[in-house]
Amino acid sequence: MATSSEKQLSPGTILTGKWNGRKYKLERLLGVGANGQVYLATYGRAACAIKLGKDVSDLQAEANILASLDHREKKQPFLLDVDDAMLSGNQVPFYVMQYVPGTAVRTYLRKHGTEWFGVIGYRLLRRLSELHEAGWVFGDIKNDNILVSDYGRIALVDYGGMTASGRGIRQFTEIYDRGYWSAGSRTADPAYDWFSTAVLWIHALDEKRLLYLTRTLLPQNRDPGELLGLVKSHPSLKPLSGWFERALHGRFESTQEAAESWREAVHAASGAKSPSAPRVPGWMAGVFALSLLLCISLMAIWLFS
Amino acid sequence: MNQILLITDGGSNVGVSPVVAAAQAYEEGIIVNVAGVIDDGSIGEYGASEIAEIARAGGGMSRIVSTKQLSQTVQMMTRQTVVGTIRQAVNQELRQVFGVSSVEALPPPKRAEVVRVMEDMGETTPLRVALVIDASASMKPKLLAVEEAIRDLSLSLQARTGESMAAVFHFPGEQEPCVLDTPWTSSTERFGSLFGKLRMRGTTPTGPALLRAIEYFRESYGKIMTEDVHPASLLKQDDTDGMRSGYVV
Repeated sequence: MATSSEKQLSPGTILTGKWNGRKYKLERLLGVGANGQVYLATYGRAACAIKLGKDVSDLQAEANILASLDHREKKQPFLLDVDDAMLSGNQVPFYVMQYVPGTAVRTYLRKHGTEWFGVIGYRLLRRLSELHEAGWVFGDIKNDNILVSDYGRIALVDYGGMTASGRGIRQFTEIYDRGYWSAGSRTADPAYDWFSTAVLWIHALDEKRLLYLTRTLLPQNRDPGELLGLVKSHPSLKPLSGWFERALHGRFESTQEAAESWREAVHAASGAKSPSAPRVPGWMAGVFALSLLLCISLMAIWLFS
Repeated sequence: MNQILLITDGGSNVGVSPVVAAAQAYEEGIIVNVAGVIDDGSIGEYGASEIAEIARAGGGMSRIVSTKQLSQTVQMMTRQTVVGTIRQAVNQELRQVFGVSSVEALPPPKRAEVVRVMEDMGETTPLRVALVIDASASMKPKLLAVEEAIRDLSLSLQARTGESMAAVFHFPGEQEPCVLDTPWTSSTERFGSLFGKLRMRGTTPTGPALLRAIEYFRESYGKIMTEDVHPASLLKQDDTDGMRSGYVV
């Protein structure tokens, strides 16, 4: 029914809204999601992001969620317009969002250093906590859906998986899915997002081993313990293994608590390192011992001569 | 809402034509989807066209996939079928009530409202899926993937708000053409190890197996055509909740 190899629209294409009459100029493709393509576009001089869909209902369902989120959060609205455009004879539904600049988590960490993951992780949990308190579960947490901009600021994008608490998760990615790892149901609850968040950090910092594990593990052996095994044998994740254990098994009271616990664990991990930081490197100790030995032997030679 | 999901790897060779059986199912209000599983291109032209024909006759969709993609495909087809059935019912209602042909023809604020109702219906309508599994000899190396797909589907069914049931059949049996392995259940645990004890046999009575599944729907739910999607709620929702449509710009 749906073809995955959608045609890309060329930069400069103008979308004219059938209902609201606004004109948008497409600049470039930002990404391809499960139900459509997202483009960077301009409206007059302002930048915005436009999601073009294949299916009216799917797209409208997403727009509905964004609208109710905007209504609830009372910040600057994220959803700016919902309309249809005619493109080579077909009516194509689209919606317009605020443009969020940034790069995916893994790319950001590779560029700016893994030491940023503590702060980014805390901000992510704080953002999730807001959504959870409003009765939503993000659902499709994954590397591509979390954009990081300057100084580790984060934004969630692609709300296709966002689900009202208590319902079946609308959209998920296999290796981030709690059900896939036999760690619980696909019913939307805050713990579903904690689980995916834990997998996100394993993916961000140890992609090779995670993908190897998913490739080689038999379905009946998929278990959160396997993921914890990766955490415990990774230098940056190991100090936080207590947090990961609770996240993978859904053992937090609230997302607020998950965020606080993350902050404390990150703090403790960097604190634990600091007393050992000024420690003398091995080679220096070696050189010192050698010079001492040399000194003593020289003294001995001088004494006995 | 009733669905049969057939998982097979090739042409039937015994008994009534599966295409006829699928048409019969559709007539009785059961949609038939087909997943053709291949791993080394063994499906052949005949098998491929039969798979497509069964789905067409059964009002459903068909996909030919490798074992790796099976879980995802099974889920996608089940979900799409629910969405498609609801859309049909809703479009019919729209024609009668608003005189428009489909959701697409509504202005976005109105559309927002209708889609909200459709989503609710998709999440809450009772759903029953009978899985009919080809366990003929050539399927043997694929059954682990089939089990995994069933487990995965049952997880997603369980997460729905509405009543969701699944039952599992395999064919051929020792004597009869088709065996019921797991009666209607909504729990994932019941699908532990389905086919561990199976003795694989050569014939592929796909048609008779589909008939058996239709029979089972009839036995357990009587006349099935009667209760189905009620998009009547669409109207009510629209009248009382008109205010909400204002959210969407």
